[in-house]
Amino acid sequence: MSATETTIISYLGTPIFGICLSLLVFLFGQWLFKIGKGFFLFQPLFVGMVLGIFILWLMAKMFGVDVTWFYTNAYKPGGDIIFWFLNPATIAFAVPLYKRNDIVKRFWLEILLSLIIGLFISLFIIYYVSKLIGLNNNGIASMLPQAATTAIAMPISGAIGGTPAVTAMACILNAVLIYALATWLIKIFHLTEPIGQGLGLGTAGHTVGSAKAIQLSSVSGAMAAIAVVIISIVVDVVVPTFANFMGIAH
Amino acid sequence: MADKSNTTQAETKDAPILIQMGIFAGVLFVSSLISAWLVAVAPKFPVPTPVLGLIILYLLLTFHIVKVEWVDKFATFMIGMIAFLFVPSGIQLTASLDIMKAQGVQLIIAIIISTVVLLVVVAYTTSFFIWIRKTVFHGDITVSETVDKK
Repeated sequence: MSATETTIISYLGTPIFGICLSLLVFLFGQWLFKIGKGFFLFQPLFVGMVLGIFILWLMAKMFGVDVTWFYTNAYKPGGDIIFWFLNPATIAFAVPLYKRNDIVKRFWLEILLSLIIGLFISLFIIYYVSKLIGLNNNGIASMLPQAATTAIAMPISGAIGGTPAVTAMACILNAVLIYALATWLIKIFHLTEPIGQGLGLGTAGHTVGSAKAIQLSSVSGAMAAIAVVIISIVVDVVVPTFANFMGIAH
Repeated sequence: MADKSNTTQAETKDAPILIQMGIFAGVLFVSSLISAWLVAVAPKFPVPTPVLGLIILYLLLTFHIVKVEWVDKFATFMIGMIAFLFVPSGIQLTASLDIMKAQGVQLIIAIIISTVVLLVVVAYTTSFFIWIRKTVFHGDITVSETVDKK
């Protein structure tokens, strides 16, 4: 290990650097989103991701060390602490799901069938489109679990031979795109049925999708909130099955 | 984490925040044990800890073993922060910049198409099943307008 690397570890190797950087880029993103009047590319999480990567890349170049090494030794200790809290945050979705039990109990069969069959059809399309534009098996495997929430999509991606970080990026971009395009997509594809709107938005856009759905109608909003949770469980069963069936899981 | 001192108000029936965190911790611990056991039994079908935790907590609530006011406050707090909690997963891409260099454009095109496909296919599939419920089984599809408090 070089002298620079030892110095970096002693000054930036504690978790507080990663925590501060994460907070800084996210708060900057929130501020930008506010003054940018909600411009779709200024979504706090997206800004935070791009800016965070850029700052880490820039610092690594300044110190003259490898970017991946710098990420692993300086950012990851703090990043992992924040990342761990996705576990309780993800299981917390059981509470809003429970609060809409009236809808879940009446429509559970339609919700489950729609999400399972809808996901299977989507996976086939995503698989062949990815193959067509020249992604390798690793890339395809990273694309398949993106309908689940990030904390669930990442381990599944790793298990079927994908790169969890690429899947996480996909989940973030899903939300950016749905935020930007939902209204337009609903219009050009004539997605007028509110229950379908809700399940579609929750599946494709995660929590941002469900925020978008609430603006359309309370039925769509409730359905989207349910879809965010149920699709994650459905992905957990369907995606590894699909990956094994298509022979891309190793 | 944020200051918890202002969350215990006398008039609400909410459980103290430490109890709420305790319930979450207990659910997570049991889920992580089951998850680890499932990895040993069926390595091809991993069930991540949060999936199990989500199901366990939902079942505990639905069967009234855990009351909603025992977990509501902490759950709302965690969900309110979730966008921030995703930041490290995004920044994790720093370690995979070579993948982005090699096929970043294809990946982004695939993501754009996937997003549209998921929205449209799921929405159409649902409309189909709702149509079946309506026309074949003459089921009721009206949903009460009770707005979920965020």
